[in-house]
Amino acid sequence: MAEGKRAVSVILDDMALKIMLVEPGNLIGVGELLACAEELLSLGEGRVLAALEKMVEVFKSALEQVIMNSLPDTAENFDALAQCIVCMQEVSRRGVVTEQDFDRFSQVITATGFVLADNTLIIQGQSNSIGGEQTVNTEEGNSTSPTSKAEDKSSPVVNLDFLQDKELLGGFIEEAFDHLESIEVNVLELEQRPDDQEIINNIFRPFHTIKGVSGFLNLTIINKLAHTTENLLDDVRNGVRPMDSTVIDIVLNVGDQLREMVENVKAVLENGPGEYKEFDINPFTQRIDALRTLGGEGSGEQGAESLPATSSGSDAVSIVPDDSPLAPERVDPPVQPVAKEIRTSQQKDENTPVETEKKSSKMGVSIKVDVEKLDGLVNAVGELVIMQAMVRQNPLIGKISDPKLTKDFSQLSRITTELQKTAMAMRMVPIRQTFQKMTRLVRDLSRKSGKMVDLVMVGEDTEIDRNMVDSIYDPLVHMIRNSVDHGVQLPDERKKNGKPSTGTVKLSAYQKGGNIVIEIEDDGSGLNSDKIRKKALERRLIRSEENILDSEVNNLIFLPGFSTADKITDVSGRGVGMDVVKKAVEKLRGKVEVISQPGQGSQFVIRLPLTLAIIDGIVVRVGTERYIIPTIAIQESMRPDSSKYNTVHGRGETLKVRDHLVPVIRLFELFGIKEANKDLNDSIVVVIENEGRLRALMVDELLGKQEVVIKSLGGYLKDIPGVAGGTILGDGRVGLILDLAGLIAVSDGFKVRDVESE
Amino acid sequence: MGAIRAEIPNLVRTVHSLAGKYLTFSLADEDYGIEILKVREIIGVMEITSVPHTPIFVKGVINLRGRVIPIIDLRLKFEMESREYDDRTCIVVVDVHNGSLLVGMVVDAVSEVIAVVDKEIEPPPTFGVRLGDAGSILGMAKMASGVKILIDVDTIVGVGVALEFQDI
Repeated sequence: MAEGKRAVSVILDDMALKIMLVEPGNLIGVGELLACAEELLSLGEGRVLAALEKMVEVFKSALEQVIMNSLPDTAENFDALAQCIVCMQEVSRRGVVTEQDFDRFSQVITATGFVLADNTLIIQGQSNSIGGEQTVNTEEGNSTSPTSKAEDKSSPVVNLDFLQDKELLGGFIEEAFDHLESIEVNVLELEQRPDDQEIINNIFRPFHTIKGVSGFLNLTIINKLAHTTENLLDDVRNGVRPMDSTVIDIVLNVGDQLREMVENVKAVLENGPGEYKEFDINPFTQRIDALRTLGGEGSGEQGAESLPATSSGSDAVSIVPDDSPLAPERVDPPVQPVAKEIRTSQQKDENTPVETEKKSSKMGVSIKVDVEKLDGLVNAVGELVIMQAMVRQNPLIGKISDPKLTKDFSQLSRITTELQKTAMAMRMVPIRQTFQKMTRLVRDLSRKSGKMVDLVMVGEDTEIDRNMVDSIYDPLVHMIRNSVDHGVQLPDERKKNGKPSTGTVKLSAYQKGGNIVIEIEDDGSGLNSDKIRKKALERRLIRSEENILDSEVNNLIFLPGFSTADKITDVSGRGVGMDVVKKAVEKLRGKVEVISQPGQGSQFVIRLPLTLAIIDGIVVRVGTERYIIPTIAIQESMRPDSSKYNTVHGRGETLKVRDHLVPVIRLFELFGIKEANKDLNDSIVVVIENEGRLRALMVDELLGKQEVVIKSLGGYLKDIPGVAGGTILGDGRVGLILDLAGLIAVSDGFKVRDVESE
Repeated sequence: MGAIRAEIPNLVRTVHSLAGKYLTFSLADEDYGIEILKVREIIGVMEITSVPHTPIFVKGVINLRGRVIPIIDLRLKFEMESREYDDRTCIVVVDVHNGSLLVGMVVDAVSEVIAVVDKEIEPPPTFGVRLGDAGSILGMAKMASGVKILIDVDTIVGVGVALEFQDI
């Protein structure tokens, strides 16, 4: 009671009420009933009569069959099920189970077409009852398989039933991903502390939720897989089998499989039924079943333990009061809160779960907000800031020399700045989740390669832009893989070099200046600069007479083409596909570099902007137009010196910048701006770098540095080459943000086309 | 191909009644009407930031209360002669694809809102090759004040510019 557990009679009354409201086709109602039945079962021995428990179990499987469509959901059947509830209510009230009760119950329930296994409900000797218990179990297990078989035959139609309630399904998908993530994190934690009951419960709970919700959404296969795994975990929870590496592996694999299936459901939801894929979960279920039968003797014993209550005579068959101190404290039944969650999501339930409050005290209250609404807010705030600046710059207001006005203005701008910061912060999420996924990766990789690797994480609470989370995942995986595969040596080799046999990969994140810095550091062999240098010479990326520092040479691994030709693995063991990493990071307007010490290890440093919504840029003028160049890409800007200017065929222009011949892009030409300065000597060139390519952009004037909010030009003007988006400048006009990769591509093509047309 | 493309939407459209309220505006000597429900607002001409690599009728983008929206010049879109903007020139901001897209259309002057009934509407006449793309014309409304050409906003700005531009 104290923990929000409801008394048996209360639950039964609730069920009686609910079944009155259930109508054919109302699966949600059935789901609620199912949740109640599970709540009853979760109360544990001593609270519910063992015999009653069995009735509930049978009732529950009947409900499950209704949900799975193998029992027709007609009004008559619901009437029969209602009678079952009445029967259970009577039993619970009297506290004694008689033979007649069972007879009546089985009569009513078979009326629905439910096949009752023999002697399920017969109370006789101990042995028979064990049989009974087992039949209930097998009944439950089997009840799913024939149904799913039946469904396989009539496949797409039945299988896509779940599309009926898209909103619910959408919610389920989102929740399922969260759950799967928490499962993974907890499993990995469990590996460190295998005996922690709380963690086992934390794994059990999400499986249970997925099972429950997928059940009444008619996602049969997901439901079945989750159910089977839950059974396995239940054994672990009850101490029947230990949480060993086999179980952990299975749980992790099942988690992956479930994620794949949920992703498929998501694809179906988004792109229509054509996306639907059949998944074969038999390997999993068979493995789990095999595992369970191996350690299965235990569960038989357990069944016997629970029996005496039923069989040892009528006096024992009495109800133990719900709040009786005699009621043995069982392992915290996680079933109940989960069941409640399901219900509350369906219906505004007054009995708001106590559990939610408990959780929130730990994690802080949060709400889910539509990203569009958030963007709207950010937009409005951005506009407010600009408007405020415009009012302030109004010449009439400038003339007023009132100290109060000045003070008020500064107060106002403080508030708007604060508001802007808050609005931006709302888009930020801790990087923790992304980091935690790496734990799994390192575990798998090290196991595969026979290395011992510790992953140390620092600064998981550092916040990054929500939109960046997905994009940063791939490069991180790539670099972690590199560090484990190629950086950290095998244990023997490490010992030879006087290092501890377990290698360490350190993943850290912190905020520095206006950037988020993510570092991946390993204590492996480091980069072999000499070999990279040799390779670079071969590829003519550098010249032998050039005096290039090792640190600069190391960064050559990020050059595209450096690693594609042949495996770098035999050179240094590092740098495979690093250009991919660099590209991904640059897309986020970030930078990546490597610092390495031969024999000591290497460190990759990724610098990312705090948010994707704001860009730090230099505003330049070309004729009447203003453009924003992302600061991160700018190498330098200068007034060109005519002695460094060269042309090829009189058209292809280059400028010598620090010993590099840099092609010149005349922006006014490329963008067709008429009233611009056409003489290179009177203009300013901005040297930019993108994916290793240098270009000199010719502009009229540098107007200043500014942080601007990126806005899309809308669907109508998307994919304009050379333009990444727009922003609203201080005077309220729109300025275009340059997309350098596109710009370079256009200018390369532009020149060719230009020559041809001439 | 163009003819077929124009045919299909016309066939579909005849099913729905075209009667309703239209905002009328003028381009040169012609009067046009667009469905009032598609009109978000009417603003005066402001400074437009031009966007490179776009067709000539795309004048650029403006800041509409924090939102960047594209502006197209309807005269240029219909391949009519261009004209200097004056103080009668307006930008009609229309709502396309159920509000997911706002686009401003530059017109010579906005006139009034008229109610058109079914019997006043005639299907668009065929002009053959003289008028390349008449697919955006819903019908002609014969009003006392003259003939109004009812045009479909979705067709005019429905296709992204990038796509159109590739054909040029």
